[in-house]
Amino acid sequence: MSIIKLGKGFVIVASATLMFACASKQDSDSQASTNEPSEVITPVEPPRVDPEVEARRINEEKREARTVYFDLDDDSVKPAGRALLEAHAWYLSKPENSGVVITVEGHCDERGTPAYNLALGERRAKAIAQILMLNGVSSSQIKTVSYGEEKPANPSHSESAWEENRRGELSYEG
Amino acid sequence: MMKFVFKVCFSACLLISIKTNAEIDILITSGVDNARPVAVIPFTFKGIGQPNQDVAAVVGADLRRSGRFSPMARHLLVQQVDKYSDVNLALWREKGIEAVVVGSVEALADGRFRVGYELVDIFKKQQEMRNGQLVTVDRNLLDSYSAVVSADDLRFHAHRIADRVYEKLTGERGAFATRIAYISVDRNLPKPYALMIADSDGYAPQTLYSSSQPIMSPAWSADAQKMAYVSFENGRSEIYVQDIYKANSRKRVAAFEGINSAPAFSPDGRRMALTLSRGGNPEIYVLDLVSFRFSQITNSVNSIETEASWSPDGQSLLYTSDRGGRPQIYKQNLASNRAMRVTWEGSYNASASLTPDGKTMVLINRTNGIFHVAVQDMEANSLRTLTETELDESPSLAPNGSMVIYATVYQGRQVLSVVSTDGRFKARLPAKQGEVKAPVWSPYLN
Repeated sequence: MSIIKLGKGFVIVASATLMFACASKQDSDSQASTNEPSEVITPVEPPRVDPEVEARRINEEKREARTVYFDLDDDSVKPAGRALLEAHAWYLSKPENSGVVITVEGHCDERGTPAYNLALGERRAKAIAQILMLNGVSSSQIKTVSYGEEKPANPSHSESAWEENRRGELSYEG
Repeated sequence: MMKFVFKVCFSACLLISIKTNAEIDILITSGVDNARPVAVIPFTFKGIGQPNQDVAAVVGADLRRSGRFSPMARHLLVQQVDKYSDVNLALWREKGIEAVVVGSVEALADGRFRVGYELVDIFKKQQEMRNGQLVTVDRNLLDSYSAVVSADDLRFHAHRIADRVYEKLTGERGAFATRIAYISVDRNLPKPYALMIADSDGYAPQTLYSSSQPIMSPAWSADAQKMAYVSFENGRSEIYVQDIYKANSRKRVAAFEGINSAPAFSPDGRRMALTLSRGGNPEIYVLDLVSFRFSQITNSVNSIETEASWSPDGQSLLYTSDRGGRPQIYKQNLASNRAMRVTWEGSYNASASLTPDGKTMVLINRTNGIFHVAVQDMEANSLRTLTETELDESPSLAPNGSMVIYATVYQGRQVLSVVSTDGRFKARLPAKQGEVKAPVWSPYLN
């Protein structure tokens, strides 16, 4: 079940990478054409948007969200969360970011027993780590920790609080 | 009629709570029709001033909390006496009272108190020979006892008297002179998380450890001298052991990669069961506290194994496992390593422990999405829900198996509650501020 889901994720990421690959090619072509051989002036960036820069900006915006949510008793990442993780993975998997380390926290709502929830939180953190790794992030860049039901995002005891609390949180170190 | 009884005991408890100024007050939420009627007469005081504790009130509250007894309201008492010889048996018989507790507190010159008590069985008769004739005589003094205690120990001593009364009248050892540990969470404090220890009725809470990061899963050692617990002070779950009565005695015993959780001391005190996911998957281990060697007890590829508790003989572990898809209770013998699933009713069974006789298992059961404290007969395998509260967790048995303390949510706050193991009596111990959870009842204290 999860493999099929992961497969879907792969397709999305693969196509995204392809898109970016094309973008950077186009970029180098256009730069070559604007270079005047006789003049010794420093090339000024044209006022158009660099696709690479634009991609980074979009990615940065996407990565402002750092929480993915889960269903009760479940550790599978839902499509919205998957898209978010792919955005983080896109950034983390860049060679220049290979030194960036993130911590993935797994959390649960208060239903069920604290000890079981601590283990369930670990499953959630690992499910997130797995998706990041399948999208090119190195295992050395990911730390996982479970807080079980001990650190609710919303400490009230209601259905809506529980939805907020069944989550995985990404935090960048440093 | 029951409502009236509740009202009386409710106000009685309120009175007690004002006197004792405990952090936690006990509110009886459900009483028992067939609890045995007894009377605890206020102890007389000899000396100057006032004793700092109402011993009779503590004894009465304990007896009521057991679910076995219904102490008579003070304003209905028909006699105010403090010795067996002054107890008018006929008067109490008329009121249907089965047993009367009398006693006195005497202030000594050195500041200590002499506490004396007598337990009178109102109905007991015995036949004996007198002048060659068989006659029926009253043989009513069941117990008498006196001790000298410090002012600080007077209230706890009242629990010891309640234990004696309970044992004489039921034949089972009492468990009132015990303690509970629990976690309090008050998000307004700089260190919101605290491991607390209090008397079994919530009185005299003391902080054993507090932290800016979560604390969970407190567990008593068999000799009640140490506590193990999980602390997140280093940003992850690690297991610590702390001597309750010695300063600077905190020791970290497990801090492996992954989770380190759910410590449980063995009945002989030499081992600790715990959960580690250092191998990638949460498994039950047993740590030998002498050699400090870990042995892995469960070995499953993809399931969670956690919350081990020891059988009273120390031969087996009960634990929660979702190897069958959903969390259920398994029992595994440590010699044969054979595991057996023991719960079959409901989609979620967890946090199991056995009564001292090994016949009854207390656990958390989820049926139709609601988490309740439940008991299961280990022979008949029949499961019975004990509570009407929701979101119950962390059930812990009193050392005599008669009561269960657990965490639940009441009016939007996490509170502690107690229920008698037969389900007939329920009470709530709400904290004055913040939330309280993860209660664990101590072993007997000697």
